[in-house]
Order: sequence, then C-alpha cells, then structure tokens
Amino acid sequence: MSFLLVHVAPGDPLIALAGEHGDPAYYAEMRQRFGLDQSLPTQLATYAGRLAQGDLGFSYVQGRSAATVIMERVPATLLLTGTALLLAIFAALPLAALAGRRPHGARDVGISALALGFYSAPVFWIGQMAILGIALKLDLVPVQGMTAAGSDARGLARTLDIARHLALPALVLASQEVAVLIRLTRSGVLDELARDHVRTARAKGVGEFAVLVRHALPRALLPVVTVIGARVGHLAAGAAVVEIVFGWPGTGRLMFSSLQTRDTPVLLGLFLVVALFVVLANLVTDLMYAAIDPRVRLR
Amino acid sequence: MHPRRPNHHVLLVAPLLALVSACAGESAGRGEGVLVAAIGDPGHLNPAITTNGGVHTAAGLLYDGLLTLDDELRPQPALAERWEVEEGGALYRFHLRQGVRWHDGQPFTAADVEFTFEELLLKFHARTRASMGAAIVDVRALDDSTVEFRFRRPYAPLLQQLDVVEAPILPRHRFAGQDPLRNPANTAPVGTGPFRFVAYETGSEIRYAANREYFRGAPALDAVVLRVIPDPATQVVALESGEVDWLFSVPGPERARLERDPRVRMIQTAVNPGGSNCITTLGFNLDRPQFRDVRVRRAVAHAIDREQFVERVLFGDGRAADAPISSRIAFAHASGLAVPPWDTARAAALLDAVGWQRGADGVRTAHGVPGVADGTRFAIGLTVLPAQTVYADLLRAQLRGVGIDLRTQALEQAVFSRTVFTVRDFDTAIGAYCNGTDPEIGMRRMVVSSSVAPVPFSNMAGYRNAAVDSLFELAAASLELPERRQLYRTIQEIVVDDQPYVWLVETTATRAHSVRCSGFGTSSHFAATARCTARAP
Repeated sequence: MSFLLVHVAPGDPLIALAGEHGDPAYYAEMRQRFGLDQSLPTQLATYAGRLAQGDLGFSYVQGRSAATVIMERVPATLLLTGTALLLAIFAALPLAALAGRRPHGARDVGISALALGFYSAPVFWIGQMAILGIALKLDLVPVQGMTAAGSDARGLARTLDIARHLALPALVLASQEVAVLIRLTRSGVLDELARDHVRTARAKGVGEFAVLVRHALPRALLPVVTVIGARVGHLAAGAAVVEIVFGWPGTGRLMFSSLQTRDTPVLLGLFLVVALFVVLANLVTDLMYAAIDPRVRLR
Repeated sequence: MHPRRPNHHVLLVAPLLALVSACAGESAGRGEGVLVAAIGDPGHLNPAITTNGGVHTAAGLLYDGLLTLDDELRPQPALAERWEVEEGGALYRFHLRQGVRWHDGQPFTAADVEFTFEELLLKFHARTRASMGAAIVDVRALDDSTVEFRFRRPYAPLLQQLDVVEAPILPRHRFAGQDPLRNPANTAPVGTGPFRFVAYETGSEIRYAANREYFRGAPALDAVVLRVIPDPATQVVALESGEVDWLFSVPGPERARLERDPRVRMIQTAVNPGGSNCITTLGFNLDRPQFRDVRVRRAVAHAIDREQFVERVLFGDGRAADAPISSRIAFAHASGLAVPPWDTARAAALLDAVGWQRGADGVRTAHGVPGVADGTRFAIGLTVLPAQTVYADLLRAQLRGVGIDLRTQALEQAVFSRTVFTVRDFDTAIGAYCNGTDPEIGMRRMVVSSSVAPVPFSNMAGYRNAAVDSLFELAAASLELPERRQLYRTIQEIVVDDQPYVWLVETTATRAHSVRCSGFGTSSHFAATARCTARAP
C-alpha cells in the first residue's frame, strides 16, 4: 500500500540521485541503473521479494543500505519521543488531578487554559519561541543538535551532554502531549469523583488526598492509557517537526528529507519501522490494561 | 566577545576544547576549530558523481581541481602547475604539480586525473558531462605528471570548468573497479584538499582536520566541524548563541538583525555551492497559445518592476538583471541591451493590440487572439519552488496591475522538475538559472533547441531559434575572447528581442561569521585561509 502511494505521488528521485543539468541519455542510464525504468508491478515484485529476505534496498541518495541508514537514526528518535512521553505523563497526571479536584476553581481554570494553549499552538512555533526565549535569552541550554559540536566525550560526560541538548526539544514535544493528557485525565477524575465508590470512600473517612490518588485517579487512567498508546503515531509526526527545528538527528528528519528527494527505499523502510512501533505500542497498551484493570485478565 | 553566563559556558566549551586539542594532535596546535552550519545532511561526500549543492558544500574542503578561478574568474594553477593549448583549442596539455600526496599518503599522479574524468566526471557529474561530454575524445595520462584533453573540435570553455566545483579530482586507488555510486569511499573520502576527513555522523555532523601537508600551505585552523542544522532560523540563533561560527547563507528577514549584532560579520558573494552567478528567471511556456505572440511576452516584461524584487524579495542582496548573461561573467555580459523597462502603460497598450481587453473585474479577456477562444480570461498558472513563493506573490501583484491573473502553484523540487521540464504542464514558471563561470555552462542550456529536453533546468521555455543555436556552436569553438564576446552579445540581443524569458534579478548570497574568526573566502575552500581566536571563557 505505502509502496503504491509513494510511487504514485508525482516527482522523480532522479534529481536527488543524479543532480541537475544532466543530458537525457545520462538520466536514462541512471534510471536503468536503479531499476526505475521497470514497470510499477515489476518494481513492487522486486521490492517485496527483497523485503521477504529482510533487505530494504539501497538508499538512492546515500548509496548505502537503507536499513543501515534508518537504524542509525532510530535511537535518537526513541530517546526524544520516549523522554517526551515520560515528561508528559509525569507532568500531566498531577496537574490533571489538581484541576479535577475543584472544577472551575482558580487552579482548574489556570491549568485548563494552559492545556488549551499548548494544544492549540503549532509545535514548530512553540519550538521557535522556546529557542528564542529559553536558549538564546536565558542561555540555559544549546539550541541545536544532540551533542556539542565535535564532542569526543565518553561515558558520563557524554550522557550529560546529550541530556542538555535533549531538554528543550523533549519539553517542546511533550507540551502537546501534556495538553491532551491533562484534558483527558481531568474529565476522567471529574467523573470518578462524582461516583458512588468515591462517596463511599469519603464516608468511610478516607482523606481527600487518598480519595484522589487511590480511588479516583486509577479508574480515570483507563482511557488515558488507551489514548497514550494511540498517540504514539502522532508523537512520531510531532517528532519530525521538532527534529527539524532543533536539528535532532532522528528518523523524523530522515523521513522529511527522503520525501523531498524521493528516496523511496529509505521512505518505505521508515514507514515499516513506524508501523512496527505503533503495533508494538498497542501491544504494550493491552498488556498495561491487564495490569491496571482488574476486569481484564490475560490467559 | 559577548558576555555569557560562565558556568554554563564552560560546559559547552569543554568538549570543544577537547576536540581542538585532540585534532591538533601532536602537530602544531596553535590554531583553533571552526564550527560551520549546513542546511542539509549531504548523504555522501563524493562531489564528482553529483552536482547536488549539499554534497559540494560538505566535500569542497577535501578536494582540489586542476585549476582554481580567481575573483575575475581567470584560471589559476592548482593541481596543474601550467598548461598548453594547441590545435586551435582542440588539445589541452596540463603539467601537474610534483610531490602532492593524497590524505592517505599515496602520491597524486596523472592517472588519478584520467580516471576521475573518464570514470566519474564524464559519466556522473551532470554539468561536466552535459557541457564537455559531446565534444571530448579522451583524457589521457602521458606520464605521471602530464595529462592531455583531446576534443573533436576546438573547445573554448575548458579552463573555466576545471575548478573543484565543476571537476574535483578523486583518487583512482580508492575507486578503481568498484561501483562509484555505492563505494564506501563516498562516506570516508580521501582527497588532496586543505582539510582531511575525520568522521561523519549522519544527520548530525561531519568533522575535518587540517591537512598539514597541503601543497598550497597548511591552513591556520586545526579543525572544521560541519553541523547539520536543517532550519535556517535555528542556524541564525546558533550563530548568535555562539554554537556555530559560520553560516553559508542568512535568510533575508534575519539579515537586519545580524547586521546590528557586533558579534557577527557578513560577506556578500555570488558563489553558491554547486552553482554560482545565478539569475532568477521567469519562463514562458512557448507551447501555450497565450505566449506565442512576442508582444504578450514583452508586455509581461514591461509590467514587471525588477527593482522591487531587489528591495522586497532580496532585501538588497542582489541586482536587477539587465541581460541574459550574469554581470559577473564580465567578458560575456552585454550592457545596454534593449531590455523592456518597467512601463505599465506600454504593457497595457501591447496587450490591447494583441486583443486582450480589460474586463469589468480588471482581468483581461481574449477578443480575436489567435489560438485562444474569445472570452477566455487571461488567468494563467505560475509554477514555483516553495522557496520562491515570495517572488510569486510580488509577480502576481505586478501583473494584476495590467490585467493578468496569475495563480501560484508551489511544488517541491522533485515535483517541480517533473511538471515543468518532463511533462511541460505549466504556463509560466520561475527558475534560478545559475550561469556558472562561462556562458557555456549555465546560459547555453536555457536557450539552445537541443536542450528542450526532459532535464531539470534545461530550456524551460521550449525556445527554438536556429540562429542562436549556430552562434553558440561558433562561440564554444572560438578561443579569441573579443570574438566570443561579440558572439555572446549577438546571442543576447536576439534572445532579449524574442523574450522567451524575463530575467528578473541576479542573486547573491550572504555568509555570516562570528567576529572571533576572520580571513574566510567565498570559494569551496572557504576555511583554508581562515583563522580564529580562542573561544572566550
């Protein structure tokens, strides 16, 4: 399916492959060399055959195995999206619980407004603002890259270096997820607080904090877990934008540049990898359900 | 140096100092490292198999050509020390510099030159192949230090095409007998240039160290790190925050801010990696009935105020084009041509005369225009690359003034090339035609009839004129500069008269660097002459 989409889209990988200003004979020769002169079904059959053997083909642009090109970039994206997701969860849950506790109070209005703001603002704009404000004006963290330029640091020094570079892009990427999670968890907490089991707990004399954390929040989390699982694909899309703004060397940026240059083998490989991660995320979601919802049992 | 918060700064600089001292190694170590920002990840570092600007930006420092070109584009010795031109320009003999070594220690010889041309450049470098390919018989090494280029007929532009951009020389011993497009040496290159390759982290950075044995003298810098920063706005911020020292280009809107910044210096240049002396050009699709009549094309030219493009699109970074050949190619550029001046009244009169009459809404409709049904509105498409939509907006406003309704269609590179040059499904389009260092390189392909072909940045208009074709043949074969000058002048007069294109503006680029560094050049070897003071604590 994605093979067809990529090939049916207009555009020609040849420019990226060969550069501009060639003569027609040159372009014909290059086309033949890369099998681009074959019919679409033939190309698909060749591709599927190679894929079955675990071969993603050669990148047109880099002249190296597409699998290598992709795998070089996967760790950076996993680090960025993973950190962003964790940040989002750890920021969103307490905030949402706070907001849901006294609906329409000052705290609730403040937190909800913040969530709405983050939710509405495009991520590239938040990124630019963060760069100008936090990185440039306050000079707290670097504005681009994953490590300091030309750094040969190893071990702990390298970890710290990466952490400093990671802070801003992860925060920016997390901002959107925080917004979604706050809104969802808050309404869940609100619903739960109105339920009988909460009233019972309160009647038994359980303290307000314990009511919130032990009785309302866990039940409110069920839909939230589903949404987190479903948002992995979305997170990958947001990561592409953040990676471009912050010069983060991940798969999102690779996808963008491969799209521009019509580097089909890399593009298809990336689709495959992202699809794999979405499937994996859904599996993890299902397993989580078993852990937090007593009604679900794995056999 | 600007004040910074020292506590954070130490963290930032410490690894850098480590790099600088590491790269300096046991050698001199007086110099400093320079950090350079690049827009895209080049993918590989073989400039002989592509004309891609990103690859040339990243690989230029590693290689040399047989010659270099000075500011007036005159050939100067590089890997070749001297040369002879014989048989009226059909035979060139180059004597190579002795004692030059590749970065891996192997000696550089004429066999490398022969191999690079025969197996790489003439097969894979699109411009060199297209311009030289038809005329050349062979490139042959006579002995270790002599190489001969033999042509079927006199070939005048050769000396303009041997610099590191058009013809970088690569090591035979790394490439012989392997597929050049998938050679591991493409990402671990060996050259003769002022810097040698150290490491390539894809998507992140490329590191270079000074070539202490460089035949034109060791560079003052110890190291160069090229950082991939895809967003132009982030690049500017990275320069301001001291994370990089050199930008290859500054976006127009950011220029004023950097000009006021005492930490930053700027350099203007017409040189771009992979192509120089570019003219942004509006092309008419001459297959479309609306543009068959030359009066319509002249009317459009009269309706365009080129100075406004210089001011509003280029922010003063360039000049209005007054000829089809760039003013930077001084010997061939014709002055005082009858280019239609900005005159909307004249434009309106021409359109009226052809039969395009103004309608109630201000847009013209056809009344007796040959090939166009009566009542057809003068509403046409303008196909552009995303980066050129600013040109499109201004053009749209200016043509609207004379009753032509332009509709912009912005297409990314791959789709643009196919739509405009392969399928030819467009009315008008904007292209940045880079003239290079000789009219044979950049100008010829946009007007000769043999380059009406499905090739990017060929003859976009689909313009055919037998006189122009034969004049170009004469000019390419003439070694006499005054004679060539006259031939190119005649060509430009004819082409301006036919107006298949409107040449809008000659663009230049703005480089920016931090004040801690100086001595940068604008060529591919920009960092070879640069020196930097230590980063302030």
